[in-house]
Amino acid sequence: MPDPTGAAVALALKDVRAGYGGPDVLKGVSLEVPRGCIVTVVGPNGHGKSTLLRTVSGLTRLRGGRILALGAEIQDHAAHRRAAAGIAHVPQGDLLFPDMTVLENLRMGAYLERDAAQEKRRLDEVFALLPRLAERRTQVAASLSGGERRMVGIGRGLMAGGQVLMLDEPSLGLAPLVIEQIYEVIARLREQGRTILLVEENPARVAELSDVMHLFDDGEIVWSGAPDDLMNREELLATYLGG
Amino acid sequence: MLDVVVAVVTTALTNGALYALATIGLSLVWGSMGMLNMAHGGLLALGGYAAYTGSVQLGLPLPLAIVFAMLAGAAMGALLHLLVVRQLLRSSGAGFETAVMIATVGISIALQNALLLLYGGQPLGQPFDVPGSIPVGAGAVPWLNVTIVLVSVGVMAAASLLIARTKMGRAIRATAQNRDAALLMGVPVQRVYLQVLALSGALAGICGVLVSSITQLTPTLGADPMLKAFIMCVVAGLGNLPGAIAAAFGLALVEAAMQFAAGARWGFPTLLLLVIAILIWRPAGLFGRARIQRL
Repeated sequence: MPDPTGAAVALALKDVRAGYGGPDVLKGVSLEVPRGCIVTVVGPNGHGKSTLLRTVSGLTRLRGGRILALGAEIQDHAAHRRAAAGIAHVPQGDLLFPDMTVLENLRMGAYLERDAAQEKRRLDEVFALLPRLAERRTQVAASLSGGERRMVGIGRGLMAGGQVLMLDEPSLGLAPLVIEQIYEVIARLREQGRTILLVEENPARVAELSDVMHLFDDGEIVWSGAPDDLMNREELLATYLGG
Repeated sequence: MLDVVVAVVTTALTNGALYALATIGLSLVWGSMGMLNMAHGGLLALGGYAAYTGSVQLGLPLPLAIVFAMLAGAAMGALLHLLVVRQLLRSSGAGFETAVMIATVGISIALQNALLLLYGGQPLGQPFDVPGSIPVGAGAVPWLNVTIVLVSVGVMAAASLLIARTKMGRAIRATAQNRDAALLMGVPVQRVYLQVLALSGALAGICGVLVSSITQLTPTLGADPMLKAFIMCVVAGLGNLPGAIAAAFGLALVEAAMQFAAGARWGFPTLLLLVIAILIWRPAGLFGRARIQRL
């Protein structure tokens, strides 16, 4: 697997299998997220991309394989301990705390942070990155627009100060203009050198951002490589993503 | 006429405070973990008897005996989590709400019979008492009732501050609003459940002391307040704390007025009739709202 930076591996999955009672949804997935890189998993909907992230963060039970965060095995940890191990998961559908304000939602992101000064610093960073949230800080999350909710979800994930930020389809259900705004934010995160595991349906949207892309189909990684290589392989795109 | 008004208002405020206190313990547990705690009435009785034991048998001063009752309630709440709820959460999955309701009915029966065995079936007098009364016009308001209202309001204010302002409270609210998201933030959800049940047990403990101070100590003393607490929860919308408190005082006033106007036996049927009417008019409760999730 190409490793553009040669840096240490922030997150590694080794032959990970998982499911929801029936057959396996993840049929042995292995991938690595090097530090400071954006690794993207693209593939059609309903094929287990969200399950992949949920299994890493512990919301879905692992059936086999290993998950390593900065080299330490975390697959046996309960979900709340994986957050402590540096996994920040921004889930599909945002999963905000609907009756809390924007500020309270963001502060929940830093729940594990004991240092108040550190929390304040991260909050300033998030507000600098997402100024709209500063305007909306006292507004209840349930009253926000879809784009604003997505921003709160991302901001809350950043508040944790984790090693790896996992973003599950940040463009889902948003208007094209808002999708552009969200991806501008992700581009800024890339400039800051964040480590991100990104899940998307549309490869064209993320090709420019990604260091490594994995094509995901029916619970398996079927192709891995550099974004340019994938975008030049029309037969691959046509087979797995319908062109 | 004035003395009737004074009597009705006194009864309404006293009962309202007690109902509210019983309700927030129940509502807190329902709101944060989807658990209808049928043993809540048993915890009330436990608190009442614990104060008796603390004061009469151990010779503690009354305030300490009340603290003892709260600790007993909290300990029983914590035990309930460790021995029953945690196991059911693990084993029953989506059937948890039903399983835990049935389990707590059993615990409630066991708790009542344990109290019966320990203290006997004869009603005992609750040592917590405040003698004297304040003359108001032609009537009088007993100091005991004033104390009950003040203590209840104080305890409820302390509980809401705890939930609104502390880190533990934030974790409780987060877990209640979205359990998965709370886990992703690193909130140890099982510990939050333990804290919620202990807190609810402590609230039940002091509520039991206050309830038994105007009636007497029997193993079933929690049954009536718990029934009323269910009604308040349903009327206000399950899990809505401020709404439940408002409903408690409002319905207590209706109940007291009806009892004076038409006789004691009309109080409860009137309450039930009101509940039916409210649920037809607003199925999610007076202050409840159907959840609208924007995507």
